[in-house]
Amino acid sequence: MAGDFDVCVIGSGAGAGPVIWRLTRAGYSVVVLEKGPWFKREDFSKDELACCRRSHYTPNLRDEQHVLEEPAAAGGWLATPTGESKRDFWNGNMVGGSSNLMSGYFHRLKPRDFRLLSEFGPIEGANLADWPISYDDLEPYYTMVERVVGVSGSVTPHPQQEPRSNPDFPYPPTVEHPVSEWIDEACRELGHHPLRVARAILSQREGSRDACSYSGYCGSYGCSTNAKGSARAALIEPALSTGRCDLRPHSKVYRLESNAQGRVVQAHYYDAQGAARKVSARIFVVACQAIESSRLLLASPGPAHPEGLGNRSGQLGRNLVFSAGGAGSGYFTYAKLNPRQQEQVRTLGPFVNRALQDWYVIDDPQFGPDPAKGGTIDFLFAHPNPMPLANGVRWRDGELLWGKPLKRKLERWFSEDRKLLFEVFCDWLPNDDCHVSLDPSLKDKWGSAVARVRLGSHPHDRKVGRYLADRGQEVLRAMGLDWVGASVSTSPPPNLVAGGCRFGSDSQRSVLDPDCRVWGADNLFVSDASFMPTGGSVPYTWTIYANAFRVADIIRQQLG
Amino acid sequence: MTLRRNITNRGDVPALATWREQLLDRRRFLLGLAGGSLASLLPLPAGAAARPLEEADRWDLIARVQDRLFPSEPEAPGAREINALSYLQWVVGDRNIDAQERAFILQGCDWLESLSRERHGQGFAALDAERQEQLLESIARSESGENWLSTLLLYLLEALLSDPVYGANPDAVGWRWLQHRPGFPRPNQHNRYRAG
Repeated sequence: MAGDFDVCVIGSGAGAGPVIWRLTRAGYSVVVLEKGPWFKREDFSKDELACCRRSHYTPNLRDEQHVLEEPAAAGGWLATPTGESKRDFWNGNMVGGSSNLMSGYFHRLKPRDFRLLSEFGPIEGANLADWPISYDDLEPYYTMVERVVGVSGSVTPHPQQEPRSNPDFPYPPTVEHPVSEWIDEACRELGHHPLRVARAILSQREGSRDACSYSGYCGSYGCSTNAKGSARAALIEPALSTGRCDLRPHSKVYRLESNAQGRVVQAHYYDAQGAARKVSARIFVVACQAIESSRLLLASPGPAHPEGLGNRSGQLGRNLVFSAGGAGSGYFTYAKLNPRQQEQVRTLGPFVNRALQDWYVIDDPQFGPDPAKGGTIDFLFAHPNPMPLANGVRWRDGELLWGKPLKRKLERWFSEDRKLLFEVFCDWLPNDDCHVSLDPSLKDKWGSAVARVRLGSHPHDRKVGRYLADRGQEVLRAMGLDWVGASVSTSPPPNLVAGGCRFGSDSQRSVLDPDCRVWGADNLFVSDASFMPTGGSVPYTWTIYANAFRVADIIRQQLG
Repeated sequence: MTLRRNITNRGDVPALATWREQLLDRRRFLLGLAGGSLASLLPLPAGAAARPLEEADRWDLIARVQDRLFPSEPEAPGAREINALSYLQWVVGDRNIDAQERAFILQGCDWLESLSRERHGQGFAALDAERQEQLLESIARSESGENWLSTLLLYLLEALLSDPVYGANPDAVGWRWLQHRPGFPRPNQHNRYRAG
């Protein structure tokens, strides 16, 4: 079947990059339609206003928004457009997607994450399902990511460690903060097994990518050295040098057109000038981040897919998952430290890189009679951005503070202490109340229905999150930190989202087949986090990358 | 809950103007019921419907309020030293900023001025420091007044801590005062945020 290109990829983030990289290297022509702009290395800086206070890397909510549904106090669901609430639900929209802005905490899933249902049994109200592939199927691709994207670390043996085919990481660990050893000591005293977190950040120069410069400002910021393993720096820019990648930023795909056989024939998009254009290809790959991928497929009915592309099962957009858990913190009070320790705590730049997975499976009668799926505790310093800290200073017991009292308080808060955090990652149980649909009335600036996202969570998530948050607080207390506290939330972080197009071996109960090919559309693949039936208890990015490399191999075979 | 500081743990979440968060609580509505204006949500007190100030007078009033909110001191920069006024003018001129928020900032000037004339028979600018302060304390006791002041403070603190490339925090005077260490590379005229 002829087409303008061999492959058309929609989106350019972590789910798209491996497909683009692999297929252009294999000699195929690939067109990439990316909604956002193309920021290059020199376009990034450590500018808090651009990164975190304005919509510089994300759409303006006036142009494009979401509608979020949350439980109403009186029962039922209340829908709020994010343009009203200003609760921005976008992640980075640009070439390379939100992988440009990630912190790059890289964890693999563990074998048991692939069979949550059969390992731990059903949970009432949760749509648990085993994956149609095993850890062993994905393991070679996790290894490939270490090399191609670039992962720095060193293997720490610990009881929950997943098997790996290579003895250690291809890049040595990034430089570590003096406090990391203090965390180790406290954890070991408590009988835990602290592990060194691998990072998708180059500790050594590789080709045109420089090593990390340890600016201290990493997560939420684009990388100015290309050390961070964004899909842009690690995969798309190399793909462009093959001459077979046609990268089209400012290209917003609004519909995939399919024929009577169910196959996709054209992608319809608007270019930077707002003109409607289309492109044909032999294979189409959707990777727009989970919510937007479901939205595009729902907005693309065809003669063989009347309810949306891949929605014959009625499963499209369902079983969206986030990352459950919470966060905790404690403070190093400088006045309680000796000068040497103060200097160590003040160090800015190196990474903490410590996590605990001792409760990845919770086997504790206090929690429940049977072993249960737990999660990961990751330690880090509070983000060095000063504005959130200063904004907190404005308030005292709910009263607004200004004038000299405000200024004295600013001086104290900026000089007295430093905040150490932990984040808890645990499974967001897939459930009937967490899904994507098309909003019946609100449109984006191109006239397409925006995504309406229901954000229901399962009460079990909070129980697991609380258990892990308590363990995290014990560590901070053992370190002697002040003001130790934690909060467990069911409000989802929009930067950790997966599902909506779960893959499976039963076409009646999934959207994608085990190859991540859309059921009933044999030239259409979804290669972002949408495929995940369950999310595991770690950040998703490494798994997204690995699976996209796997999908790229399948596409290569299909292209012949 | 022993968290001392009631702030978000996530540095990557843009901190919303607090009035917006309060607004959200009161304003969760089913789609299709939208259409309320800011004025109807934040009703101005009686007597506030006086004729609006001229543009220049509004900014003059805001400058005086900023002086109260963030006074200049020998050892610590105030609103003037951080160019808070010109920064706020840039913010208000940015079409990317929520239109209601922009209108609210300007509307608050008229309201404060009216209140001043009602209470003291003269404009805010003519009041001595003590009376200005009392007036601010007075409006802070109403929700809308507190929202207005906290919005001004929000952008004042942005002016204090943003990169000097935006014209505020000149010579890093705010960063130096609070011994804040910025990240590198810093933004330049080519890659900085652009107002819409």
